[in-house]
Amino acid sequence: MPTTQPILTRPQRWDEPFAADMSDELVQRLLGIEPFVRMNPADFPRSTPLAGILRNDARVVELRDGDLIVREGDYGSSAFLVLHGRVRIALESLAPDLLGRESPKRLSLWQALAPLWRKPKPPELRPSLSARDANGKVALRNEQAQPRVFLQDVPAVIGETRTAQLRAGELFGELSALARTPRSATVFADGAVTLLEIRWQGLRDLMKHTPALQSHIHSMYRQNSLRVHLRETPLLANLSAEQLSVVEKAVEFQSFGSFDWHHDLTKPNAPDFAQRISREPIVAEEGELPMGILLVRTGFGRVTERFGEGDRTRDYLAKGAAFGAAELACTTITGAPTPLRHTLRAVGQLDLLLIPALTFTQVIAPTLPRDDLHRLAAEAAPVKQSSTATPLADRTLDFLVDQRFINGVEAMVINLDRCTRCDDCVRACAATHDGNPRFVRDGMVHDQFQFAHACMHCADPVCLIGCPTGAIHREQTTGVVQINDRTCIGCGTCASSCPYTNIQMVEVRRRDGVIAIDSLTGQPIVKAAKCDLCNSHHSGPACQQACPHDALVRIDLTSPTSFANWSAR
Amino acid sequence: MSIRYFKRRRVRSALLLSAVLIIAMLPFRWIDANLWRTEEASGWTLLLAIIVLTLLALRKRVPTAPLGRVATWVQVHLYLGLGSAALALAHVGWKWPTGWLEGSLYLAYWGTFISGVAGLYLTRTIPKQLARTGEQVVYERIPRLRRLIADESQRSVVNAVAESGALTLANFYQSQLFPYLDAPRSWWYGLRPTSELRRKLLGELTSLNRYFSAAERTAAERLFALVRKKDDLDFHAAKQGVLKGWLFGHLCLTAVLVLLSLAHMVTVLAFRGGPG
Repeated sequence: MPTTQPILTRPQRWDEPFAADMSDELVQRLLGIEPFVRMNPADFPRSTPLAGILRNDARVVELRDGDLIVREGDYGSSAFLVLHGRVRIALESLAPDLLGRESPKRLSLWQALAPLWRKPKPPELRPSLSARDANGKVALRNEQAQPRVFLQDVPAVIGETRTAQLRAGELFGELSALARTPRSATVFADGAVTLLEIRWQGLRDLMKHTPALQSHIHSMYRQNSLRVHLRETPLLANLSAEQLSVVEKAVEFQSFGSFDWHHDLTKPNAPDFAQRISREPIVAEEGELPMGILLVRTGFGRVTERFGEGDRTRDYLAKGAAFGAAELACTTITGAPTPLRHTLRAVGQLDLLLIPALTFTQVIAPTLPRDDLHRLAAEAAPVKQSSTATPLADRTLDFLVDQRFINGVEAMVINLDRCTRCDDCVRACAATHDGNPRFVRDGMVHDQFQFAHACMHCADPVCLIGCPTGAIHREQTTGVVQINDRTCIGCGTCASSCPYTNIQMVEVRRRDGVIAIDSLTGQPIVKAAKCDLCNSHHSGPACQQACPHDALVRIDLTSPTSFANWSAR
Repeated sequence: MSIRYFKRRRVRSALLLSAVLIIAMLPFRWIDANLWRTEEASGWTLLLAIIVLTLLALRKRVPTAPLGRVATWVQVHLYLGLGSAALALAHVGWKWPTGWLEGSLYLAYWGTFISGVAGLYLTRTIPKQLARTGEQVVYERIPRLRRLIADESQRSVVNAVAESGALTLANFYQSQLFPYLDAPRSWWYGLRPTSELRRKLLGELTSLNRYFSAAERTAAERLFALVRKKDDLDFHAAKQGVLKGWLFGHLCLTAVLVLLSLAHMVTVLAFRGGPG
């Protein structure tokens, strides 16, 4: 039997640098300026030296006056350091049309009834194809590989909006890059500017080995978001302002897992369940004493329990959920240390806030009503093997977590026991989008439930990361992830990032019905297309409205409860 | 344990329908007591019910109009349709109407009613049968999937012949399997799908196994899987076809019913007699 195996090179972290044109000379120059000049290269490990981080995880970006760098509400995976020139940060929200966004216009009843008499249009018809056609306030600069949306009248924007200047040496965008939260403000170039864009992996390593940067970023988070997060946590609802400050000071930040989880999910040779669960970093292990309460800041956690030779899923946690509170409540009541009943693992990237055990017993527990404390403690009591933490079966929880459907805020689930395959949902979707259905009635099946290929408007919208023009964005008021056709350049970044293959690239047609051709390349112009949750219609998603047999639902899977209730009907 | 949503809805709707029917019969008794024409009142009510039942088709054509969920409309359609039988009996009585127009109308009504009840049964039973198959397929994709199965089976057999030179599997494939894998099933299978042919073919393939070369055995294993896949595909084609055929038939009967009802209404108005 042949024993030789093909020789493979294990992929290395820096196999694909952020930019190919970062030269050694440029890196040396960067090492000589703030803040890198104050970092000690000896503090970095040999595997990820400071110069290596700058060479492979950073790139220099040259921008012109008015270029939008980050836009409020967008998601991004990098932070920016101003090297030369000035940028302006808008202290007030800019109007959506200034940012190249279009608010969906609600259709009137007359327009909703129009399909009864309207002639069908050719597929994927776009009356206007470019941002230049839009409103004159924003435009698209299509420069080589890096197209940019820019403000056309910068003085007017500065005159009408409160802004602050950031100069050379100042860093911005680091919080949303690390925590994968929406950008909190819009930043644009004020004149010609040179920036160093650092992707999140590099930023994380810089932070890890530079205590000053770490403390700067943590203090920024404490200053901007921590109190809001704590205030929204039900467990801390009874705390006074002083007590909340004590908790705030005691909080420790923890981060686990991989930011790029979506790449693993789409790989053809994805690992099986046992391999996958063993790869998920353990945050807190069953049988150990809890270090404190873990609050999920961003990402998802899988709660497992030892079963036979493996671990089975009992629950999953999303933003705002707490882990370890039951055991600590039990400890507070009995005085005896109570070990954790479950293990918490990071599914993808998991950012946590740790409230130390002592803070819980001394500050939080005394504020909890007696009944609540006992109810909480009861959850930590040993239970029968058959009982579950959620009303869903373990294998259903496994399925939802393994396939990352837990990311779906508006997932489309079809009960195949009720679905007559009439396709009224697809027809309704097509009727709502000028004859173009925005989903496929196909997808993974678990028991009698089909998880159709329709945009789930995810809690962690990885499709938004990397869009060069910000055309794909989350609508602020509704949370709907939508695409602005005018600024979509058809690069396909969003479609290839979506791990659920719920975004299609479509060839578009001009007003006369002919396929639009790019004058430079001679190739058809493509645009990203996906479910927009019928946000221009009063009645909500047409697919759900049109299902005659109550078989289809748009459902929030970030918590198992909604799905458990729906599936038990 | 709480009563599940659908069961609760069924009970609630049935109670509501009974209450509506009882209340609806009261005016008829009053009309009868005053020596007015109860047929006229029940006729207009029935016509109104038929129009409301027909509106479901229009509602489906405007999916985004803020007119309530189609599922709610279907529930109204179901229970109003059931209730309309009581109205039809109240209108005509326990007899068959005389005259070709009225006879055809009554036939069209009961045809539509029975097709509706049959549809209720089919839409509640077939989805569960379809869900039990391994793969879920879109009806319009079935011919293409059938083609893919036939092509793959052919490739497997040709490779086995090229590798081993043996023709045992190829002969069986040509005479028995290819006609099965390449073509849709008969209309009779569409009405009453069975796994008899699949079992027969797999049985024969198993019995030939001892005569196969190693390469043929490998190909035969693939053919086993493809025959099962084709069987599932045929089952989906048959059952989904029945559902689509039923809907088409129900809509055609509804169109006939509406036209005959309007003709009946015109006739009645034209020949109603009385003062003026």
